[in-house]
Amino acid sequence: MQRMVQTMNQEPFENLRLELRRGCLVLAVLAALRREQYGYTLRKTLVEHGLEIDEGTLYPLLRRLESQGLLASEWREEDKRKKRFYLLSSSGAQVLDLLLAEWLSIDSSIHAISKEHNHGTD
Amino acid sequence: MELIDRYLQAVKFWLPRQQKEDIIAELSADIYAQIDERETVLSRKLNDAEVEELLKQRGHPLLVANRFLPQESLIGPVLFPIYRFVLKIFVYGYLLPSVLVWMGLMIFSSSYRLEQTNPSWFTAFSSLFNYLWFTTFLAAGTITLAFAVLERTQARIHIFDRWNPRKLPPVRNPYLIPRSTSLFELAVSLIFFVWFAVYLHSPVVPIGLKVTIFLNPQWLWFFWGYLLLALVNASLAGLNLLYPSWTARRATLRLLSDSAGAALFCWLMKANLLAGITGANLPVQQAIAIAQAVNDWMSRLFPAAIVVGLVIVATDVYRIVRMKSAGRTTP
Repeated sequence: MQRMVQTMNQEPFENLRLELRRGCLVLAVLAALRREQYGYTLRKTLVEHGLEIDEGTLYPLLRRLESQGLLASEWREEDKRKKRFYLLSSSGAQVLDLLLAEWLSIDSSIHAISKEHNHGTD
Repeated sequence: MELIDRYLQAVKFWLPRQQKEDIIAELSADIYAQIDERETVLSRKLNDAEVEELLKQRGHPLLVANRFLPQESLIGPVLFPIYRFVLKIFVYGYLLPSVLVWMGLMIFSSSYRLEQTNPSWFTAFSSLFNYLWFTTFLAAGTITLAFAVLERTQARIHIFDRWNPRKLPPVRNPYLIPRSTSLFELAVSLIFFVWFAVYLHSPVVPIGLKVTIFLNPQWLWFFWGYLLLALVNASLAGLNLLYPSWTARRATLRLLSDSAGAALFCWLMKANLLAGITGANLPVQQAIAIAQAVNDWMSRLFPAAIVVGLVIVATDVYRIVRMKSAGRTTP
């Protein structure tokens, strides 16, 4: 029975999880690019930290953030291959600080609400 | 690596022109970086099957390219529900009734059936299909075009900014019977009752001093039937006027009375009721022709009478269903 409920909830959970992660990924990418990286190593960094992201999501996101002036990029040769390196711009750093503050505020709000709810149901 | 080149070419085809080269260069660098890493782990070159698997994991070229394209839609999420609603009105308000009328005519009008099925039934169906296809294509195309234009202009003309909560329609109450409607129904039913009883109680109906209409003896069935229905409708309207709220019993009574009225009306159309006409200066041959023509026209209108009857009955059934569903949802 519990398994059936789990299966039934799998799809909405998966959709909500993706929705929740979408905004977090921007934050993670900006934070990871405080250090200069190219796309492939950036993806590996994120995966190593538990944030799976496919290249179809990462590269359009990098382009969008660059077009918004939050990232700077340049093509360079490394290991005999041309690669595009990304780095957080100065305005990107400011936006990242604001987003991190927002993230912490959301996190504490969610904690407070869920804690209150737990007390209410106990 | 021909496979990779083919893959990149397929992705490139769908990309925006100004960014093609840049995106492909980056995508290519990413694929080769992944291959380099895998080859380092395996200490050998990847074979074609492994490269194929790796590309498959990245997804169809169109899907990959799609991620880099701006999100565009002909009709956006704001206007889409209205667009779907207008299309539904077209389907249920025009397309479906057209098919029903056609079916009614084919079933009940022998002359129409003969005309349509000449030379074969295939001709009849193909002419219906052509008509429906053309009408649907034209209407759906026009509606879609209008909404696509609206989609592109709505942000500029701010149509959703100018609104007032006071101008929203009042809350619908499926039980409510407007008193004005009941009053109108009561007046019509009583006038009809009196007129019917006074002028149409006999199969011989004088019109003025010069013309007399003769109806078949069958007429008396219709006379008493309509008189009874007018009485029932007047009583119901009076009751609704006093207690302006539908009850299940009254809604069912209305359904039964309307069904009986519709059935009687359909029968009337097919009954060849007009036996003859006499007039002071009306030649006999002409009087016969007029009587025949009136009966013919009534007979031809039979399918239309069926459609009208079905609409009335469907409205009554819908009222009952709506009341039941409101009863279920009301806490």
